[in-house]
Amino acid sequence: MSERTESPDGDRPTRPARRSGVSGAGVRAAVAVTAILVVVGVIALVLGLRGTSGTPGPPQPAAAGVPSTSTSPAGPTASPGQGGTPTTGPSPSTSAGTRPSDEPGTSDDNGFGDFLEASEPTSIEIPSIGVRSSHFVPLSIQRDGTISVPGTAQEVGLYDAGPTPGQLGPAVLAAHVDTPSGVPGIFYELGKVRAGDVVKVSRRDGSHLRFTVDKVAAYKKTQFPTEAVYRGDFTKAEIRLVTCGGPTDSRNEYRDNVVVFGHLTGTS
Amino acid sequence: MRTTTTRIAGASLAAAAAMALSVGPAFAADTWVSANLKPVAGNGVDGSGTAMVDVQGNKITVTMAANGLLPDNPHAAHIHFGAEARHECPVLSDDKNGDGHLNTTEGGPAYGDIVVSLTKTGDTSPKSGLAIDRFSTAPGGKIAYQRGSIKVSSAVAKAISAGESVVVIHGVDYNKDGKYSGDTKSDLMPSLPTEATDPALCGALRVAPAGGMHTGGGLAADNLKTGGQNEALMLVGGGALLAAAGSGAFAARRARSRA
Repeated sequence: MSERTESPDGDRPTRPARRSGVSGAGVRAAVAVTAILVVVGVIALVLGLRGTSGTPGPPQPAAAGVPSTSTSPAGPTASPGQGGTPTTGPSPSTSAGTRPSDEPGTSDDNGFGDFLEASEPTSIEIPSIGVRSSHFVPLSIQRDGTISVPGTAQEVGLYDAGPTPGQLGPAVLAAHVDTPSGVPGIFYELGKVRAGDVVKVSRRDGSHLRFTVDKVAAYKKTQFPTEAVYRGDFTKAEIRLVTCGGPTDSRNEYRDNVVVFGHLTGTS
Repeated sequence: MRTTTTRIAGASLAAAAAMALSVGPAFAADTWVSANLKPVAGNGVDGSGTAMVDVQGNKITVTMAANGLLPDNPHAAHIHFGAEARHECPVLSDDKNGDGHLNTTEGGPAYGDIVVSLTKTGDTSPKSGLAIDRFSTAPGGKIAYQRGSIKVSSAVAKAISAGESVVVIHGVDYNKDGKYSGDTKSDLMPSLPTEATDPALCGALRVAPAGGMHTGGGLAADNLKTGGQNEALMLVGGGALLAAAGSGAFAARRARSRA
């Protein structure tokens, strides 16, 4: 593990030449070493080491690649009036009976769930997997239409064109599962989260929010559930936590996104 | 080394192709867009909100919520669009008369004209833009609005679907007297004070991000290959890799760190 964080390995092949001042043998040796390593590297890339070498990957939800709903019926909604879950669609009055714990306050007119003013998150905690972070960065849509990701594996990103946690609609938070060299990121164990777990979020306005997890699922990135993640239900305060998972391909890219779906169950 | 370079270039192209494919569906006929409603610059509202619009052919469903508004006074609310507009919320430089506030007309270059009136009942066309008796009065400063089957033209449906429309909730209280008042007349309806029609909260209805999220370590390498748009990642995570790649040991480093 430790060699992963030391100074850039790339300097090494050129050092002998510089130190000795001898060009011939040192350079040839460096070239040879580089060539060998490149061959090894290419083979490694082709094999897609992270996925196939037996190194333990990050924890996964019950069935990676298949949207695996767990116990709670309060999942994200696909579109109004579609599907059979009790919370589907914006018809507001049905939700109260299905989620007895969902009483953060009084509902206002139109039966919308309780909601707060916008305020940036200052900390997130997932006690069931021992995660706590107070490093947040904004995530935005890039020119190619995809969303940016945090710059480091220890930061949590908030989709900046979506709600902040506590507003209506899904607040989408994403963090890396690991670094390119495999050092675990802040959401490394996100796949271990289960329905019923609690996600605590504190905000700049001093409020403390409690979200309850409805379901955890893994989806192929090529079949990313954009509606369920970003649209959800804009009559309820919801949260989404996203990271990577599943096997990796030859470019070291994870196949899946692991998504935790939750909704607001308490405010203090 | 040449092999590695070729591989990297190939992967890059493949990634670009995948992105091109994944962007497409966002412009399909039936879609949805959402907005964060924020205080309009210069107009001093301490509020916020969210809006989501479902588009199904020529019909839309609007789900909108806000708080921090002047309570118990009617708040006109609209979807705005203009082909020549900037498709965004106005900024202080739009304050043409220099009074420090933005009235509805001054916001025009940013968000265009009214295309849908978000009334509670009856007509939803631009004609109802100032039908004050049919808009929410924001009890407690809050609005929780939902209305379906709102008919719009094909052009408007297309503009909304493309992420080019803007939601605006009007009605401010500059002098904090708890009602629409003041000597300045509304630019839209001179019988009303400008407080009644000046924009309070605004949010551009945008298309959601396309595709999945690159939240695995694999992204750092991708960013290097494609030139990278995430500068922070380049600086923090990519520096070491970049150095390695420069000397030809890029693949080697990865091999060792994965082993």
